[in-house]
Amino acid sequence: MSATYPTGVAPENACALHYAPGVVDDIMVVGVGGQGVIVAAAVIADVALLNGGLEVKLSETRGMSQRGGSVSSHIRIGKQVVAPSISPGEVDYLLAFEAAEGLRAAPALTPDGVAIVNTQQIVPPLASQGEHAYPFDAAARMKAAGHDVVVVDGNAVALEVGDLKVAGIVLVGALSTHLPFAVETWQQAIARNVPKAWYELNLTAFAAGREVGAR
Amino acid sequence: METHLMLGNEAVARGAWEAGVQVAAAYPGTPSTEIVTNLARYDGVYAEWSTNEKVAYEVAFGASMGGARALTAMKSAGASVAADPLISSVYTGVNGGLVVCLAGDPGMASGMTEQDDRYFGRISSMPMLEPADSQDCYEYTRLAFDLSEQFDVPVMVRLSIQTAHQKSLVRIGEDEDGGAEAVPGDGDPRGLRRPDPPRKPPHRITEKYSLLPRFSRPLHRSLLERVKRLTQYAEETALTGELARVEPGAGAAGAGLVALRGGGATRIGVVSAGAAYVSAKEALPDAAFLKLGMIQPLPMEVIRRFAATVDRLFVVEELEPYLEEQLLAAGIACEGKRWFPQWGELTAVRVGRGFYEAGLDLPRWAEDKAAEDATVIPRPPVLCTGCPHRGMATAMKKLDLDVHGDIGCYDLTTLPPVSHMHSAFEMGASVPIEQGFTRAGGSEKGSIAVIGDSTFLHSGITGLLNAVHQRTKTLVLIQDNRITAMTGGQTNPGNERTLAGAETKPVDIAAICRALGVELVEQVDPYDYDACLRALKAGLAHDGPAVLITTRPCMLFPAKIAGEPYVVDEDLCNACQQCMKLGCPSLHHADAMHKTRHKVAIDGETCTGCSLCAQLCRPGAIVKAEGGAS
Repeated sequence: MSATYPTGVAPENACALHYAPGVVDDIMVVGVGGQGVIVAAAVIADVALLNGGLEVKLSETRGMSQRGGSVSSHIRIGKQVVAPSISPGEVDYLLAFEAAEGLRAAPALTPDGVAIVNTQQIVPPLASQGEHAYPFDAAARMKAAGHDVVVVDGNAVALEVGDLKVAGIVLVGALSTHLPFAVETWQQAIARNVPKAWYELNLTAFAAGREVGAR
Repeated sequence: METHLMLGNEAVARGAWEAGVQVAAAYPGTPSTEIVTNLARYDGVYAEWSTNEKVAYEVAFGASMGGARALTAMKSAGASVAADPLISSVYTGVNGGLVVCLAGDPGMASGMTEQDDRYFGRISSMPMLEPADSQDCYEYTRLAFDLSEQFDVPVMVRLSIQTAHQKSLVRIGEDEDGGAEAVPGDGDPRGLRRPDPPRKPPHRITEKYSLLPRFSRPLHRSLLERVKRLTQYAEETALTGELARVEPGAGAAGAGLVALRGGGATRIGVVSAGAAYVSAKEALPDAAFLKLGMIQPLPMEVIRRFAATVDRLFVVEELEPYLEEQLLAAGIACEGKRWFPQWGELTAVRVGRGFYEAGLDLPRWAEDKAAEDATVIPRPPVLCTGCPHRGMATAMKKLDLDVHGDIGCYDLTTLPPVSHMHSAFEMGASVPIEQGFTRAGGSEKGSIAVIGDSTFLHSGITGLLNAVHQRTKTLVLIQDNRITAMTGGQTNPGNERTLAGAETKPVDIAAICRALGVELVEQVDPYDYDACLRALKAGLAHDGPAVLITTRPCMLFPAKIAGEPYVVDEDLCNACQQCMKLGCPSLHHADAMHKTRHKVAIDGETCTGCSLCAQLCRPGAIVKAEGGAS
């Protein structure tokens, strides 16, 4: 279920209102092995747990995710959640760390779902064999298919705040504007999942992400 | 009490620790690996990566005989390897509680088959508990140790990949404070302490542990008696709700009433367990459920009573009609595999579609939705940049050999872009398969067995010994990257350290081969392409068993290896594409063209400087970054 909570306007009781009985937010994070999809999923799961009163279930790509293959992570948040993975066509928020992976996962979106798509393009070695072409127009194709797409240049924003490594948290920041959790709770969730030395930079990246995510 | 978001496998480990497990032994295998990885982090547990699943099972069994609570964990294929002691141990029974965690892989995310492991319970009469989420994993594992000692039998905790690899909330400890809010974290065991669990006196009972006919005949009759008592236990605990749970339908009308597509409504009941239960509950919350916790033996009378309360009874289970056939044999009418697929992971959508096809009015599942855009370029996992398997893979392709693979990362060379491995079967298999292939006449350009260090030590040695004894002309390549890489970097006997971090003597694979009687044993630097070619040719020419062993470590485990990157001199690159045959993720097409072909560029961030691409580059356009044209 979609709802928008732009920077600073999330009410105190936003969560209680939002997660009525039967309401589950289905969030899917996709990317390429090594991009930080797992950390982003952990932050999203932790923000719901830190908020309190919610059930969280999570499932991740099976198999050899560390070998440059497609990876995806499902996070489901609600008062009560049954299955740990999201059914096709029911993703409320798609967070794509890589553009072609966003396009691959787009059919999983519900009709009023939101896709936040990083502009980064990682061309797989297969593309050089000529049998398959890499979709350089991934975000445009998602829009043409009728999806609500927010394009974020996560790498550029990350470089601007100081380091390419925080691009994932920029994207999490963009997603955060759509979920009913307080900024302070997000900050606590980030603190739990990034090395101490990187915490401040991640907070800056998160704030920058919220700005681009709020459109 | 505290609540944590835990992986199913983490919850199994926690439950085992709280139950007092002292010895845990396993060989790594997705999706079971994390059970023992986690147990190794707990206070007071001896945990080891054994050389293979059979050895692991026997170590755990020996620990039980010795009076400790013990656990072993394995994937489906591992259970096949360990089947001999698995079946025998049910005859003998136990001393300390023995728990066998068996994690199946319906959908084959990384398994070679999707065999239905529940039949190991049937063939052996081992009682089986099947958890559905992390809470169950935690509770059932604790219970399994008690049951094992109570009924003098090993107890299986049967997991599906969905259960093993999902994360859900686990309430840990006793509910003294009326339930606590969930806190983030996986219940990190570091810092947790427990008193040493009491050790039972070790068993020295010949007639219990010696499977000679005069002992095993009465042991089988005793086992059948124990199964009777276990059946009674299954019925009683199903009745009290301890191990099976009747759930009324969630719909407004209750009583499992579900609307039919043709109009009207009927009372639907579902019998299910484990991951399939979770998917069925997601797909059809309005139905009445009988969730089973013990699936061997079955509480058939409780199932019969539940069946009598509904109009249509469905059995939802992954893979084979294991439950369905037993219900039908007991005279309980039910529907199952007619509607739900007998292959693959049973996700909510696949269960929902089955219910829809069965005539239930379910708008959520009316449309058959695609999960992903099949037109997007596939992105399979590939050999890492700098992977030591790449040099030999490329050389074997150059010589156009018939390549028989084993189980390891090198199996990725069955796929594009390398596409040069022609079989990948099971652990230790490549070595004997290649011998049989040669005995059948071999192939024109020659054939070779490829195996890794961990798999060679797992079950490859006996195959090689066979070649020596039979004087079979055969070539074996041991891709020794000094780690069990594919499952995430576990130690093996080739390492200087054990799982627990203790120093140990690394085994000398070349010395083993020589001791077996192999005359040609040659070590090769896999980063030297010409050396790879020369060694392969020498091995193929040798009249008898020959072994080549590569000498570079995994670039990912135990620590990521970095090196000086290479660059492409775009002026010299003639876009010949020789380097692209390597399938290196750090090589990609540049915008610049030579005639109709793209020139090549190297990602300097990820290149580890293995130099294979430079060795293949005919115009010499690939050079070390510092001395390059840039």
